[in-house]
Amino acid sequence: MRTSLQAVALWGHKAPPHSITAIMITDDQRTIVTGSQEGQLCLWNLSHELKISAKELLFGHSASVTCLARARDFSKQPYIVSAAENGEMCVWNVTSGQCVEKATLPYRHTAICYYHCSFRMTGEGWLLCCGEYQDVLIIDAKTLAVVHSFRSSQFPDWINCMCIVHSVRIQEDSLLVVSVAGELKVWDLSSSINGIQEKRDVYEKESKFLGSLNCQTIRFCTYTERLLLVVFSKCWKVYDYCDFSLLLTEVSRNGQFFAGGEMIAAHRLLIWTEDGHSYIYQLLNSGLSKSLYPADGRVLKESIYPHLLCSTSVQENKSRPFVMGYMNERKEPFYKVLFSGEVSGRITLWHIPDVPVSKFDGSPREIPVTTTWTLQDNFDKHDAVSQSIIDYFSGLKDGAGTAVVTSSEYIPSLDKLICGCEDGTIIITQALNAAKARLLEGGSLVKDSPPHKVLKGHHQSVTSLLYPHGLSSKLDQSWMLSGDLDSCVILWDIVTEEILHKFFLEAGAVTSLLMSPEKFKLRGEQIICCVCSDHSVALLHLEGKSCLLRARKHLFPVRMIKWHPVENFLIVGCADDSVYIWEIETGTLERHETGERARIILNCCDDSQLVKSVLPIASETLKHKSIEQRSSSPYQLGPLPCPSLQVESSCKVADAKFCPRPFNVLPVKTKWSNVGFHILLFDLENLVELLLPTPLSDVDSSSSFYGSEVLRRAKSTVEKKTLTLRKSKTACGPLSAEAQAKPITESLSQGDTIKFSEENDGIKRQKKMKISKKMQPKPSRKVDASLTVDTAKLFLSCLLPWGVDKDLDYLCIKHLNILKLQGPISLGLASNEDHFSLMLPGWDVCNTEMIKDYSGVNLFSRKVLDLSDKYRATLPDQVGIPRGLENNCDSLQESNTIVYLLSRLFLVNKLVNMPLELACRVGRLQDGNDVSDVWCTLGKLTDFCSFRMECAHNKVRSAGNDILNMSSFYGCSRNGKNESHVPEADLSLLKLISCWRDQSVQVTEAIQAVLLAEVQQHMKCLGKIPVNSQPVSMAENGNCEMKQMLPKLEWTEELELQCIRNTLPLQTPVSPVKHDSNSNSANFQDVEDMPDRCVLEESESPGEPRHHSWIAKVCPCKVS
Amino acid sequence: MATVMAATAAERAVLEEEFRWLLHDEVHAVLKQLQDILKEASLRFTLPGSGTEGPAKQENFILGSCGTDQVKGVLTLQGDALSQADVNLKMPRNNQLLHFAFREDKQWKLQQIQDARNHVSQAIYLLTSRDESYQFKTGAEVLKLMDAVMLQLTRARNRLTTPATLTLPEIAASGLTRMFAPALPSDLLVNVYINLNKLCLTVYQLHALQPNSTKNFRPAGGAVLHSPGAMFEWGSQRLEVSHVHKVECVIPWLNDALVYFTVSLQLCQQLKDKISVFSSYWSYRPF
Repeated sequence: MRTSLQAVALWGHKAPPHSITAIMITDDQRTIVTGSQEGQLCLWNLSHELKISAKELLFGHSASVTCLARARDFSKQPYIVSAAENGEMCVWNVTSGQCVEKATLPYRHTAICYYHCSFRMTGEGWLLCCGEYQDVLIIDAKTLAVVHSFRSSQFPDWINCMCIVHSVRIQEDSLLVVSVAGELKVWDLSSSINGIQEKRDVYEKESKFLGSLNCQTIRFCTYTERLLLVVFSKCWKVYDYCDFSLLLTEVSRNGQFFAGGEMIAAHRLLIWTEDGHSYIYQLLNSGLSKSLYPADGRVLKESIYPHLLCSTSVQENKSRPFVMGYMNERKEPFYKVLFSGEVSGRITLWHIPDVPVSKFDGSPREIPVTTTWTLQDNFDKHDAVSQSIIDYFSGLKDGAGTAVVTSSEYIPSLDKLICGCEDGTIIITQALNAAKARLLEGGSLVKDSPPHKVLKGHHQSVTSLLYPHGLSSKLDQSWMLSGDLDSCVILWDIVTEEILHKFFLEAGAVTSLLMSPEKFKLRGEQIICCVCSDHSVALLHLEGKSCLLRARKHLFPVRMIKWHPVENFLIVGCADDSVYIWEIETGTLERHETGERARIILNCCDDSQLVKSVLPIASETLKHKSIEQRSSSPYQLGPLPCPSLQVESSCKVADAKFCPRPFNVLPVKTKWSNVGFHILLFDLENLVELLLPTPLSDVDSSSSFYGSEVLRRAKSTVEKKTLTLRKSKTACGPLSAEAQAKPITESLSQGDTIKFSEENDGIKRQKKMKISKKMQPKPSRKVDASLTVDTAKLFLSCLLPWGVDKDLDYLCIKHLNILKLQGPISLGLASNEDHFSLMLPGWDVCNTEMIKDYSGVNLFSRKVLDLSDKYRATLPDQVGIPRGLENNCDSLQESNTIVYLLSRLFLVNKLVNMPLELACRVGRLQDGNDVSDVWCTLGKLTDFCSFRMECAHNKVRSAGNDILNMSSFYGCSRNGKNESHVPEADLSLLKLISCWRDQSVQVTEAIQAVLLAEVQQHMKCLGKIPVNSQPVSMAENGNCEMKQMLPKLEWTEELELQCIRNTLPLQTPVSPVKHDSNSNSANFQDVEDMPDRCVLEESESPGEPRHHSWIAKVCPCKVS
Repeated sequence: MATVMAATAAERAVLEEEFRWLLHDEVHAVLKQLQDILKEASLRFTLPGSGTEGPAKQENFILGSCGTDQVKGVLTLQGDALSQADVNLKMPRNNQLLHFAFREDKQWKLQQIQDARNHVSQAIYLLTSRDESYQFKTGAEVLKLMDAVMLQLTRARNRLTTPATLTLPEIAASGLTRMFAPALPSDLLVNVYINLNKLCLTVYQLHALQPNSTKNFRPAGGAVLHSPGAMFEWGSQRLEVSHVHKVECVIPWLNDALVYFTVSLQLCQQLKDKISVFSSYWSYRPF
């Protein structure tokens, strides 16, 4: 996901399935982390009263999570590591929910231990991993790269479990492992650090055959430093750590499988089973052993036996297996907690008393369940915010009962959302309106709610949808296909709401509908491929309304569909790695291959279509990727790691005419159930970009006036930043990345620069023109100006901290004409292209530091208020949002305010995101150089499209990027503006935000804080409410005063300016240079407005309207 | 729609009954069958702890190729380890016979067999943890179990069917070359792997490339079987493969195991399909 993409999740009534496979509690006992079979991680908040509430879901793994572990010293960095079935590993920050590091290794881990030895190790420590491979792997905790491994000299085998023993007595750390064959092995840890770092082979120190299989846990008793607990599935044993002699064996009774255990105190241990029971034993010395002297003269071994003290159990054994853990913290206010997670997604906690005792009569005491919670509980509790996107409409339809959406499809070109329901109806709505109705207060008051369409034709729940025109423009725009459980596929005309044809496939439920790629045609038409749940595949010809082929021989689920255009073959890849080749014309099975041959066949055809619903979770992330790909590829210059198995053909088609849209809906399906939800994606950058040119192109001059004010302010920000850039550049000396850029920008004399810029400018323009000629006419981007504004309003509604300040809420509704949220929204946060987190309903109560009053308020964290205050303190008193004309309910003013706010948010977003981008994007050194180059000479829109992909190598550079990007937005005004009108405050604001970035303030927090501050400022300026603002230093208000003094004059001037600007010639080579020189030298002093204005006007000559060329330039390069 | 729902009310009752039977009886029957098959498979791997404790029995395999008889090998397999190996190589140039064998004290673990064996035992463990006393409540539960079992079985099968693709330096560095009693001559490389049901031995004859050779040096990538002409750098030397000899021998019990894997995978899928049929009737609940 792109960083400027903001996601809002619209959950339904049903929680997404979360079959827990791994569970842990963080060291601060604040967060429970669970990993699921579906591949997501869930963060649960654990309050001081041991109450659980789900906070957010982390998406990133495409396979079942196998283990979780701490990845750092938790008090320093709240990082955990997760490993998945397919070898993916991720390091997550559990406070922000962001993925810090990721890697995919060809190893499947089943257990991970974090090890750090501060005085012998550099770096962040090691992750000791074991799993489905021989011996123990050592992985660097920071980079996730394999460092080395611990090798065994005898009986190398898979390792089942391990533990690190830190013995204070001998000052040596050891690694104890048990292999699948039941072999106990010991490695020296601390003394072999050097050897490992020098990549020498380190072999085990000791090994002993334990005689049991399926070892689950090995634990060392830190209290006695003597006992070793080893839990096998059928028994548990206690060994003496000194010589590994067996002290005790306890065999499981009534068919229970042990799953783990822990030493909870000296001679006291806790054993848990796979079905969720646990037992606390006291180890007692048997008196018998005292009298029993070993005959062979060895040292006396006391024999011990266990005494059952307490037990725990769950109410009913709902679903096996349970994954359990125990957390032992001795310092207050921490608890001794036993926790378990079930496949059903339920978490249960038991508070284990410090001194567990049995009943008076000696029988074991039952420890009651302290808390239990599921994701669904969260959804039920926060019912108001957990509605599906369609609820409002389906509610309208039949009054009672809401339809369960079983499939959905979003058509970006029409902004329509098609939802297939469980009862067989298909609802088609305007997506933005549906989202508004769902999110905002007074849903029924959404006046302009357009008529939604209800298509009735299916008798069973609709399982898949396809809008062919979205994949190939050649097909009829009104066609839509839907498939249901009864294996009936209907071709609809969505304009007339008619059924054009019904195909009865007589197979299983239609799990997915695909379309052949553009180059594959049969009788001049692309064909539709239906994959059914009985593993059969049917091909449909839409024009001919006929079924071409029914392929029914597949024994395993269909994973992949490929098309062979030359020979008219349909190649079907199944889950068991076999391949079926069907001849389409005759409908005969041409070949069936397995193994190596099958692999070769699948690899040789490049056009592949992944059957989505077979791998819903994987594809879900992939969908994200593809969205990302679609929207970002226009900007893409370097090679992007392409997800190998996406619906590439469709992707390409979409690319050809894809205009990044400010608003998108992403339907998400989940595995093993039909619970789905939707994600709204707001492209902040695109929004700003779409909104900005509008005032300029508007005929209405007053509107352009406001627009230009916005531009000017934003631009001045930009200019100021250049200065910082320059300054820091000289300060930090030549950086390798700048080696090229520097001489150009600094060593060249001014005249040279002019020439250079002229040339450069010219060339670039020519290029652009060429490109634009080649490209198709730009997609209509102005179709829905109102839609864009609506999107922007919805976006602002989502971000505003409603409920913090009632007056402010009121003013926002009144002046910005936006609606209040129904409840806190579930925001998404992307860490990189395929790792992101989504807040769950009820996340707001998780902010433990949040004051009680603020629960139910859309405030992302307590920090936001402080940040906002700080921001407002730096905000200049008057230079707020453009304002002026008295009728402040004016819609123009409102829209300009929105534009201003959005551009602000975009800047903040960019600034805060920078380091992340640095981390993610490598390479593009060349363009990195170009940044300053271009900035100095062109300094405008031309490279708008490239800035994103460019790698910034340091903060200075990134600032450069940012400037470029901002400047590109305001490019229209750039030429005209070489005066500096920079409030000092802007600089400090930037500093402040950069500072936040360093303090690891989350993007969402920063955005909300800035929004809050700006809105408060704005509202204050409206003079309606006394905002509790800090006294603002008057020193910097020169500009503002002047403005106040000469407001009228300035307006008129601006007006003129605007007119001129609108009629600027295409080429104005002088002005950018002017500006450049100014920004280099003069800008820093506060130059007066007036003289510069004159210069500006002189430098420009009337000509063609500028904005056209601007758009012409931006659009082609984005489409390219 | 309402009519459809009503009409099927009676039908639904029957379906529910049938589904209950499926969950309570049929699933366990299939699981039992699966267990039996996999136990049989694991016996082939002579799993430790499967009743026959003690050293696994030794089997001798004579490896040859149908074409030339330049390389002959007798490999002794003990469970998942090669305990003895005798390789005879007739040098193509001078017809000189080379003989080398494993050192007495050493064994070479065949990682592929060990992994396959471990995957099977994981699958068995998954199945045994849901014995007859366990009641499945939902179909999804069965599907998840089947997915987990199938994952292990697929991996077990893939381990045998896809040998590791190694680069020549990796083969040179592997411990196998150091296993032989008269140490291998420096111009020979040996690799042993499993491919499907066959135990394969490859011997690469090498010759050093002259440093001023006109041939442009391009190191070969990873491959199961390198072809003559593949080049690589080892130490400070640049070497080229001059001859490749591959001999193989079918291991009967591996064949059996592969068949068992395929059969049990199909059983799993059939059970999943049965469950899925019902799931479509109760799409509103996590069946």
